[in-house]
Amino acid sequence: MIRILMFSVAAACLMASQANATGLATCNSGPKSAWKPEAQLQKMLIGQGWQIRRIKEDGGCYEVYAIDGNGKRVETYFHPLTLEVVPTSKTN
Amino acid sequence: MWDPLVRGLHWGLATCVIAAFFTRHGPEIVHNTAGYIALAIALARIVWGFAGGEFARFANFVASPRATVNYTLAVLGRREPHYLGHNPLGAWMIVALLFSVLVTTGTGWLLDTDAYFGDELFEDVHAFFGKLFAPMVALHVGGVIFTSLRQKENLVTAMITGRKTTPDN
Repeated sequence: MIRILMFSVAAACLMASQANATGLATCNSGPKSAWKPEAQLQKMLIGQGWQIRRIKEDGGCYEVYAIDGNGKRVETYFHPLTLEVVPTSKTN
Repeated sequence: MWDPLVRGLHWGLATCVIAAFFTRHGPEIVHNTAGYIALAIALARIVWGFAGGEFARFANFVASPRATVNYTLAVLGRREPHYLGHNPLGAWMIVALLFSVLVTTGTGWLLDTDAYFGDELFEDVHAFFGKLFAPMVALHVGGVIFTSLRQKENLVTAMITGRKTTPDN
């Protein structure tokens, strides 16, 4: 009985500790040495009137949390090689 | 034994936690709605834990650390007493689950504001406690099955009907 319990907890832990990628979007972006720098993306978005809250990496893309020019909260993915918007499966 | 509010809030919270867990990468509307309802339910249960009846009140089932250790040793020695309401280990799981719901939904709420949108610390705390529900719920359900078998009573039915089939019901 204890074994059943331990097994179910172990299985649940495994499920919860899956890779950190959210699967919302993936970018085939190759080695980071070829990426356009984060600072360039930031500068570009600020130029478009965005207030950048945070930029992180997810699925090989840049993931940006920001308030856009219309004051709307946006979570947008950008391809690190082109800095173009990557469509996500998330309904924003 | 367990009143309709305890039972209703229990299944409502279970539904919301499961719904929020599996929509953590979207759709956002479902995730957020489930989270806000979960927060309301947890707060209602906490109020009821002080203002409710005999089997709803925390003071009547949240055992001291010493009593909880003694109960655990009794379980391991196969000589634990029967509880009509929650046993001490179940009680601490309730406390842990309610606490995690408050932390997860509280940080989730803040992340849904302009001020804390994308905040790294709140995101990390939210994700940590959110994912903690997987092992916690597994342990909770495992404990329910364990106690049901050991005490020859069906705790799932009891949480639906409010009755236990044991002689001292």
